[in-house]
Amino acid sequence: MKNIVRGMSLMAIVMMAGLTCNLMYAQSPTMALATVADQQLTIKGKVSDDKGALPGVNIVLKGSKVGVVTDENGAFTFPRALSAGDVLVFSFLGYEKQEVKIDADTTFINLILTSDLVEIMGAPNTDKPYKSKRSN
Amino acid sequence: MKYLWLFIFVFQSHAQRSDFDHINFQKADSIALTCKDEGLYNLPQLAFKLTSNLTTDVERFRAIYKWVCTNIANDYNLYLRNKRKRTKFKNDSLKLTEWNTRFKKEIFRKLLKQEKTICTGYAYIVQELSKLANIDCEIVHGFGKTSTTHIEKSDPPNHSWNAVKLNNKWYLCDPTWASGIPNPETNAFKFKYNDGYFLANPKLFAVNHFPLERQWALIESAPTFDEFLAAPILYGNAYANLTGHNAPKEMYHLIHKYETLQFEYELQSVVNTETIRFLIDNGHHSQKVKPTSIHLENQSLILEQQFDVKGFYDVHLYIGDDLISTYTVKVKS
Repeated sequence: MKNIVRGMSLMAIVMMAGLTCNLMYAQSPTMALATVADQQLTIKGKVSDDKGALPGVNIVLKGSKVGVVTDENGAFTFPRALSAGDVLVFSFLGYEKQEVKIDADTTFINLILTSDLVEIMGAPNTDKPYKSKRSN
Repeated sequence: MKYLWLFIFVFQSHAQRSDFDHINFQKADSIALTCKDEGLYNLPQLAFKLTSNLTTDVERFRAIYKWVCTNIANDYNLYLRNKRKRTKFKNDSLKLTEWNTRFKKEIFRKLLKQEKTICTGYAYIVQELSKLANIDCEIVHGFGKTSTTHIEKSDPPNHSWNAVKLNNKWYLCDPTWASGIPNPETNAFKFKYNDGYFLANPKLFAVNHFPLERQWALIESAPTFDEFLAAPILYGNAYANLTGHNAPKEMYHLIHKYETLQFEYELQSVVNTETIRFLIDNGHHSQKVKPTSIHLENQSLILEQQFDVKGFYDVHLYIGDDLISTYTVKVKS
């Protein structure tokens, strides 16, 4: 009987230990993530389409007013240090908008945008009075 | 009682500028002016500078729109080159797509470096800045009709403008046409802001704007494409003087000698009827005449013009020095 009780307490201890261990396991990745999130990342990158570099692409940190535009070579350096979990939104006339999530080891974003069906057009207005075409 | 009337009026009328008569845009306009030297290299910062000190969405949108209209120049040469290529590749979708891709890049290089663009560029910048200020804004593609466009049924679309959602209601505006006009001879663009295209009356707007997606006409009985093609020509100053062009619905008229044509407009404000003239041009010479009859009640203006001599006429309406609209009239014996 004593043995059984001892055995059960041992089991209980093992189970408790297991539980605690599990709890610790559950905790440790969160803590690790927290340290990574505090890490400040300087993000550079290049944006292109299937035909080459895209200048003028608008890049904004989602939910903020911070952003940058790609230079003539499609390159950019984001003006503010970012943290893992931040999302950059890339948009450009005639291309589908793309979001890129920053993770702990992001340093360089090489992004290819795909064209959407926007047509480029533009009729300027004029004050020139209309003149009918006359055969005579 | 006064307010009840206002309530009904606001909710029955079309979404237009007068919904915001209680708002003075002076502050928004002066903010747009102080941002004059800001470039397009940092749109979020520009949007922030334009809108952060304003309290209502309509003022925030106004600052954005005014900035775009007064800082971005229309590149007429770019337009002509695009038009030539688009017409050339009209039936070759592969080549058209290729051209479009190449042209897109060129447009943005020009926009960034020289702040010059064509319609889609204006509409795009207005949309992007609005989105950064949390204002719902769409680019509307379609046809714009001017005295020189000569649109044919098979032509590809030639114009883009914006629809913006303010206080849960959609409004229309045309930043390209509001910014100014290129000199027809030199093609050099001249800034000349026209306030009439800001939250314009959708019924007036529909006379010379045909959206590819019908819902963006924002009116129930939007004209069909044929009706749009047949409509009279409106000039920029129509938007500075009118809120509605009610009749005639067509540009071309065939009448008999001594018959009269009737014209009906809704004015933005009461005008001096003594300054209303028709300029009638028979191809050889033109003369300005006072309309046969002028009837002005509140802001509704009704004009009649009688034609006594056989011929073919271009008939231009002027209010003061402002050219408003053009019609053509064939008079048979």
